[in-house]
Amino acid sequence: MWSFARKILMHDKVKFAVAAAGVSMSVMLVLVQIGLYLGFMENASNLIDHSTADVWVTGEGNENFDFAAPMDERVYYRIASTPGVDRAERVVLAFGQFRLASGGNQGVEVVGLERDAELLSPWNVVGGDVRRIHEVDGIAVDRSELPKLGLDGADGGASPGLGARNEITGFRSRIVAMTSGIRSFTTSPFVFTNLETARAYTRTRDDRITYVLVRRAPGTSVDALVARLDRIPGVEAHARPSFSTRTRDYWSSRTGVGTGFFMTAVMGVIVGLVVVGQILYSGTLEHLKEYGTLKAMGAKAGAIVRVILYQALISALVGYVIGGGLSFLVREGVRAAALNVVLSPNLLASTAVLTAVMCSAAAILSIVKVLRLDPASVFKG
Amino acid sequence: MQPIVRLSGIGKTYGAGETAVSALVDAELDVFPGEVLLIEGPSGSGKTTLLSILGLLLRPSAGTMSVHGRDVGKMRESELAAIRASVFGFVFQGFNLFPALTALENVSYPMRLKGTSVKSPEAEARRLLELVGLGERMKHLPADLSGGQKQRVAIARALGGDPPVILGDEPTAALDSKTALAVMELLGSLAKQHGRAVVVVTHDPRLERYADRVVRVEDGRVLAPERPSQRTSLAGHERHAA
Repeated sequence: MWSFARKILMHDKVKFAVAAAGVSMSVMLVLVQIGLYLGFMENASNLIDHSTADVWVTGEGNENFDFAAPMDERVYYRIASTPGVDRAERVVLAFGQFRLASGGNQGVEVVGLERDAELLSPWNVVGGDVRRIHEVDGIAVDRSELPKLGLDGADGGASPGLGARNEITGFRSRIVAMTSGIRSFTTSPFVFTNLETARAYTRTRDDRITYVLVRRAPGTSVDALVARLDRIPGVEAHARPSFSTRTRDYWSSRTGVGTGFFMTAVMGVIVGLVVVGQILYSGTLEHLKEYGTLKAMGAKAGAIVRVILYQALISALVGYVIGGGLSFLVREGVRAAALNVVLSPNLLASTAVLTAVMCSAAAILSIVKVLRLDPASVFKG
Repeated sequence: MQPIVRLSGIGKTYGAGETAVSALVDAELDVFPGEVLLIEGPSGSGKTTLLSILGLLLRPSAGTMSVHGRDVGKMRESELAAIRASVFGFVFQGFNLFPALTALENVSYPMRLKGTSVKSPEAEARRLLELVGLGERMKHLPADLSGGQKQRVAIARALGGDPPVILGDEPTAALDSKTALAVMELLGSLAKQHGRAVVVVTHDPRLERYADRVVRVEDGRVLAPERPSQRTSLAGHERHAA
């Protein structure tokens, strides 16, 4: 019956091309929009996700990861001495102003790390020596952010890339290491450096920190440790996965960015539904007499429904393959614009299912039309 | 001989109340194996209604109907569809072939959809197309066939599953006279050589020469069947001249 459905569907090649184009556009919109959303969300929590800490501790009431208020450094010592804590590290995270060679400023998100940090350090290092960020003015930046920092040679930057000297909030900086693919949700480039330099770049007091990262001692459960740390006044403790989720949820729900992306994806599905539904329905109307003949001849309703459903699924398959391929092309195309489209296996699989469901739903009108078709109508001219 | 289909006191009324229209009144008709039965009558006389009821496509408003001795009056639609699939083959004026399918596929796919017990629908379709004289045209699309060839494909399709009754709704109306007679010849041979009942609705009196019986329908009333010879003697020479 697949070949029967395929032949009916592809007999009018123009119509089939329109249906396939409709599904492809729909698939591409869904994949790219959700992929972009996932990319942004990946950026939103990438520092958390790439840390090896079991628990993140922050000041009480901090809802936004990137704009967290600093807390008293003495908290760090209480955390470090809490039973069940194997290791604790301080992190400063705040904004500074990167002085551009052209004269302007670019906001940067400064990440200050301990000298012997084990729980968080820059990853995907593609150049330089990341250990040198502990030199007094050493910083690590992502190479995709160089244009924003005026260091790609096209924006007046005098010395692009490694070794470039600039100022951040009035203090000297020197790029000693380069990473790849570490981007922030706020679009301000991350600048990794040591704790002291980070405080200088962000005008943070010497006795202030933003986060304490904790590794649990062997035999201690994360939940128990979180509960214990939560009892320290003025702080909140979160297990790493839940802190990651909370950070993503914040940006997704508070800013409406999630709604925006999903609305566009839903519109993609609606476009696909309408196009495929219209094409299948008009094809069914064209063959109504033949379907009526099959019904008159005693063809089982289920068999005729299958023929129409198979047409929908063939449209889905062709559209998915083309739309999926286009999405990968788009992903490569927008990489240059520092946009990350995450086409994960889960997203690809669920979009495949969604496409099949969408096209099957689009066939409902056609199926109802054929099921309601009076077989005696074939004798009426 | 036992009839395959028996209609007794069959009536069909469309609509209700003041707008009710009686399309068929108290019809009596038996269909026997191996006969060619022609149904004639003017437009709107009730021929198509009679054929639709015969083919279980329309439920009568009154009377009883049996197929192979089984009362079909209270059967569900799925049961009627199963009987249609095994007992009746249909041939239409407009052929109703899928334009995207070859002659072979137009015959074999419906057999699959009907769920016939034929082991290899494709082999059976080849045999049937050979039978109707289209052995050389199996891979052709309907668009590449003449009207007569299309109707032969439709007849082969109707024969799929080996139904004992073939119902034709003006199967020669869209064909030129030579082709029409050839198609009727084929239907006649199916009745004589294969023992099938062939029931054909037609306006064309030239087809009477192939008929064993002719039933005339006038104003919804089915007149008693006649032998064509009886009718020919009444109608005179003009009919043959036409």
